[in-house]
Amino acid sequence: MVVGDFATEVDVLVVGGGPGGYVAAIRAAQLGKKVTLVDKADLGGVCLNRGCIPSKALIHAADEVDKMKNASHMGIEVDGVQVNFTDMMKWKDSVVKKLTGGVGSLLKGNKVETIQGEVYFTGENTVKVATENNSTTYQFEDCIIATGSRPTEIKSVPFDGKKVISSTEALSLEEIPDKLIVVGGGYIGLELGTAYGKLGTDVTILEGTDSLLPGVDPSMVRMVKRKLKKFGVQVVTKAMVQGADTSGDEVKVTAEVKGEEKTYSADKVLVAVGRTPNTDDLGLDQAGIELDEHGFIPVDKQMKTKVGRIYAIGDVAGQPMLAHKASYEGKVAAEAIAGEPSEVDYRAMPYVIFSDPELAYTGLSEKEAKEEGYDPVVSRFSFAANGRALSLDAADGFTQVIADKESKEILGAQIVGPGAATLIAEVVLAIEMGANAEDIALTIHAHPSLPETVMEAAEGVMGNSVHMVNK
Amino acid sequence: MAFNFKLPDVGEGIHEGEIVQFHVKEGDSINEDDVLAEVQTDKAVVEIPSPVTGTVKKLNAQEGEVIEVGSVLAVFDTGDGDDAEEAPAEKEEKKETEEPKEAGTEVKEDKGAPKPGKKVLAMPSVRKKAREMGIDISRVEGSGPRGRITLDNLKAFAEGGAQKETAKEEKPAAAEEQPAAKEEKQPAVAQGDEERMPLRGMRRTIAKRMAQSKFTAPHVTVMDEVDASELIEVRKWAKPMAEQKEIKLTYLPFVIKALTAALREYPTLNASIDEEKEEIVIKKYYHMGIATATEDGLVVPVVKDVDRKSIFTLAKEIREVVGRTRERKAGVEELKGSTFTITNIGSFGGQYFTPIINYPEVAILGMGKMAERPVAVDGEVVVRPMMNISLSIDHRLIDGDVAARFLNRVKELLESPKLLMMEMN
Repeated sequence: MVVGDFATEVDVLVVGGGPGGYVAAIRAAQLGKKVTLVDKADLGGVCLNRGCIPSKALIHAADEVDKMKNASHMGIEVDGVQVNFTDMMKWKDSVVKKLTGGVGSLLKGNKVETIQGEVYFTGENTVKVATENNSTTYQFEDCIIATGSRPTEIKSVPFDGKKVISSTEALSLEEIPDKLIVVGGGYIGLELGTAYGKLGTDVTILEGTDSLLPGVDPSMVRMVKRKLKKFGVQVVTKAMVQGADTSGDEVKVTAEVKGEEKTYSADKVLVAVGRTPNTDDLGLDQAGIELDEHGFIPVDKQMKTKVGRIYAIGDVAGQPMLAHKASYEGKVAAEAIAGEPSEVDYRAMPYVIFSDPELAYTGLSEKEAKEEGYDPVVSRFSFAANGRALSLDAADGFTQVIADKESKEILGAQIVGPGAATLIAEVVLAIEMGANAEDIALTIHAHPSLPETVMEAAEGVMGNSVHMVNK
Repeated sequence: MAFNFKLPDVGEGIHEGEIVQFHVKEGDSINEDDVLAEVQTDKAVVEIPSPVTGTVKKLNAQEGEVIEVGSVLAVFDTGDGDDAEEAPAEKEEKKETEEPKEAGTEVKEDKGAPKPGKKVLAMPSVRKKAREMGIDISRVEGSGPRGRITLDNLKAFAEGGAQKETAKEEKPAAAEEQPAAKEEKQPAVAQGDEERMPLRGMRRTIAKRMAQSKFTAPHVTVMDEVDASELIEVRKWAKPMAEQKEIKLTYLPFVIKALTAALREYPTLNASIDEEKEEIVIKKYYHMGIATATEDGLVVPVVKDVDRKSIFTLAKEIREVVGRTRERKAGVEELKGSTFTITNIGSFGGQYFTPIINYPEVAILGMGKMAERPVAVDGEVVVRPMMNISLSIDHRLIDGDVAARFLNRVKELLESPKLLMMEMN
């Protein structure tokens, strides 16, 4: 601290206003703390501004277009579906605006002071906050680092923001590209690739491993892959991208595919190979915090770093990088700061991917259950046997429940099909409550509805599903 | 910020106290030195003042709970900045202290195939509560379906400690024992209307002490009666003098003086047994316990060094300390250290009784009601003010003959109070 530089004192300083940071700030304020939240850009973080929300808006709009174009079998003849992409983007922006505005008023309502600025640690309990016009030193009692992550850049294909873009730019294009190359077959690449495919783009996904959605249960991935061609999305696996030539009108991407060098050309290249935690420009070493080899901040069960008064939550605190994980951790950290004995103690993390069909899973897969020493029962119920799915014209997919053979305890679930992201909630709750398959089977599920598939799959664990022939 | 307030040592040698009553609840604001809680120690109820001004964030005990000195009693929010870090550290400590109580964590192993990575079956809210209560939930036995742990299980665990282990030990022992064990848990079936209340506070302490005394020291009670004619005369004569000094003179100081004289002659009655070292401890000081009835039960305040105090001084001190005791205001120091105890059931009308020794003392004198009764004096029946006295002794240390002789001496001194003059030092 320079002489004459007076520190502003705060109880809790939250760095980052994403789904981790703003939730932590509100919870800390609810518990009586004086909270200051600093974010360098817009409230809501990547999730609200450049991630979950705008992508879901775009995906939904693309779905609607696709449905309109493909409704003739239901007797709906639609001629000349026109997409005004500028208006579509405006609508998407309005959705984002509603939510970020909501976050702002929630913070205000909870008396959280918000500052737009960049944070740089200068000590164990001090930071400098650089705003547009000046730089102020803050001294905090407790600090929560929630700076999130950014798209990972690859050296062979560096971002230029125009032809080589990240998910951020892919969500605010000015026009629908004719041809799009997606580097990375993970969920971000798949979701955006599918959306643009539905809007008419010729999409090629280049994935380095041998499968789309690496890490996801292959039986689920198959359901997604089958439909991609229909949307104009081509998937090339085992494709190692070598470089990109952006000198011409089109961008040319060279990749080694199964030993052969191939060139793909497109208007734009979306690089979506993962996300990098924003931990490098914070001066964390000044605070005495060391990062692990992946750039994450090591934390304990209360999200506390090795510097006792500094907490780290969300993407900076390690995988999985999920908004709902960040929010959960934010509450834990805020409560810990308020002296409550909260700690990270969840049994099931839901994962959702807005592919077509939608995909969601939680808990253990069959393979993982075996690895953990369980004797698992796998029970799968197809949406093709569910009245609601059929009437929605969305009968692709299944709901699968993994249970322990002896106790019938629910260990996990994999759902691929209509409303999967919504349906998974029931199974997450079941796992948290320690419910077994019988508990779900004995719970009345409304008819006709998609959750009936969860009930049927649960009954299948006992071998008495009514609406399928049990194995 | 959070301020953790640990239960202080409210009196010498006290290592735990029972929370009788909190004067605040969570969320209340409190000023420094306001009464936070009443804590029952050995015999006194001590008011614990708040160490700070702030709001009560958390009370770490429930009324009726016994907590150890040094453990966190309450967490305050003082509003200004200092250590919030202590709270988690405290929890650690608590866990550690709990561990030794619950031996045998390996129980998990033989609990029939708990799979690797298998987690405790409990709802998120119950898991949270366990953290709040500082309980390692994996140690709790669940009573719900498939061993699910309920809130009640947590409460039972907190009260009973090593539930899981005991339950486990019983099972393999003998199958036929189980029904019996079950019956024990379910106390006698009610035959009619009854009211149940927890055995708490003073009553619990009294119950413990009485049982300890009666089951440790084999009691023998010797009884006699005292002709109090002269004693009454002396008191009548001294009363105006006492009143001048604003002292209310009762018979008790006279009895104490007589007892002190007799105790000097029979030192084994002013003693205790150190069971651990197997030694007899003869005390050369005379601290008299005065059994006192209070609203909450029997308490024994102590008048110290009665051998060195005048009858007037004794009268004054007895009155003061008994008064404070009845108002529950006596300090811990005033309620301990007696070497011999007097209990006066006579003031409530009783004549004969067998008092229980104030353990670890070895004798207690009971005074019955003073009343006119016909007695034979020199071959004639006359009416005299008589008082029954009973002496209970610990037969481990004192034999019947000594007890009888001691009681005779007391009787002699009380019947001829002039003799007390001879005892002056």
